[in-house]
Amino acid sequence: MASNPMQQFTVHKIGPEIKIAGIDLSFTNASLFMVISAGVIILFLFLGSKEKKIIPNKLQLITEMFYTFVAKMISDTAGSKAKPYFPFIFSLFMFVLFCNMVGMLPYSFTVTSHIIVTLIMALFIFIAVTIIGFIKHGFKYLSIFVPSGVPAVLLPLITIIEIISYLSRPVSLSVRLFANMMAGHTMLKVFGGFVVSLGILGGWLPLSFSVALTGLEILVAFLQAYVFAILTCIYLNDALNLHH
Amino acid sequence: MKSFLSLIIAIIAMNIDLFAAEAGMPQLDPTYWASQAFWLILVFTILYISISKFYLPKIKNNLDDRENKIKEDLENADKFKKQSEAKAKEYSFILEKAKKEVLKIHFESKSILDKDIQSKKDSMEKEIEKEILKAKKEILELKKNSISSIQSISESIVSNIIENISGDKLNESSIKATVDDISKKNINKYL
Repeated sequence: MASNPMQQFTVHKIGPEIKIAGIDLSFTNASLFMVISAGVIILFLFLGSKEKKIIPNKLQLITEMFYTFVAKMISDTAGSKAKPYFPFIFSLFMFVLFCNMVGMLPYSFTVTSHIIVTLIMALFIFIAVTIIGFIKHGFKYLSIFVPSGVPAVLLPLITIIEIISYLSRPVSLSVRLFANMMAGHTMLKVFGGFVVSLGILGGWLPLSFSVALTGLEILVAFLQAYVFAILTCIYLNDALNLHH
Repeated sequence: MKSFLSLIIAIIAMNIDLFAAEAGMPQLDPTYWASQAFWLILVFTILYISISKFYLPKIKNNLDDRENKIKEDLENADKFKKQSEAKAKEYSFILEKAKKEVLKIHFESKSILDKDIQSKKDSMEKEIEKEILKAKKEILELKKNSISSIQSISESIVSNIIENISGDKLNESSIKATVDDISKKNINKYL
């Protein structure tokens, strides 16, 4: 009986074991749901951009809304210089959003509830943003750690704090998404377990909680995808437009 | 309500006990980390390439097309509006001109009519005057004629009266002279 709320997060192999250079790269349920999410995105975008209409149908309207939503988010936070990174941020937003949303389906697996997945994305963003910053500004990029208008006495301390905050970006970015998704799904599972154990007499209260929490989780799924994308934009903005 | 809550708490405690049996987060088990990383990179790369190379340009194209179409339509609408405004101006100008012309024609015809009426009136008046004059002349003639006939009548009456009264026949010339004399004195009263 799957009464353990953490059991939903276990990864297991599907199909044959794939080993490359001694590293286990087997196809797992996590990989399956990554593929499903990406497939849903591609199908959605395919159907949404299939017909070129002046007056769009519903699906086309939704894809265009996603497009303008992400485009506006980037131009608002990172300005026009961030335009070349639009496809990446759009893909990132869509991927995180659809992984979260696919995870909301019963018996599915939430890819983003795994720290390794979010950490890889966050680390990639962190490293890429740092490289972009150094390419655009050279060693002047290090001035991001030295805020202007700070008294000289406090400068060493502030600089150390800035460096720590900069280095903790990938951790905060990845843990935020992972912890939100894990907590939400655990909570749903716990309340689901209560419905079963309290039976037909007492199960209604946790059931109504479950329903409300599902709504909340859908909101969180969207919100976390948005937060992930907008934080990426903000980091990108720091690298592109050196304000300090 | 209290008993219900305590029941829930008891069940939570039971569940926690259950969880403790197989505690731990599967996320922290590194067995499949490499696999997840590999598949994530693979799937995301494919997704990124297909989105950036295929779908985004398509969507952007479509959005641009729509924007251009809207812009074009707006421009056209503006053009047509200006055209219609010009036409309306022209129309009102023509209308104004026509009104002026109507007024002019009205005045012209009125003056022609007036003149015509005046001339006709004048000629009529002249004719009427002529007629009147002629009539006056006739009347005068008639009067003159009547005077002479009155004289002759009065002469004959006088001679008759005298003959009847006195039985004598007076000489005609003296009667005539007397009648003439009297009539000359009184004729002016009737003329």
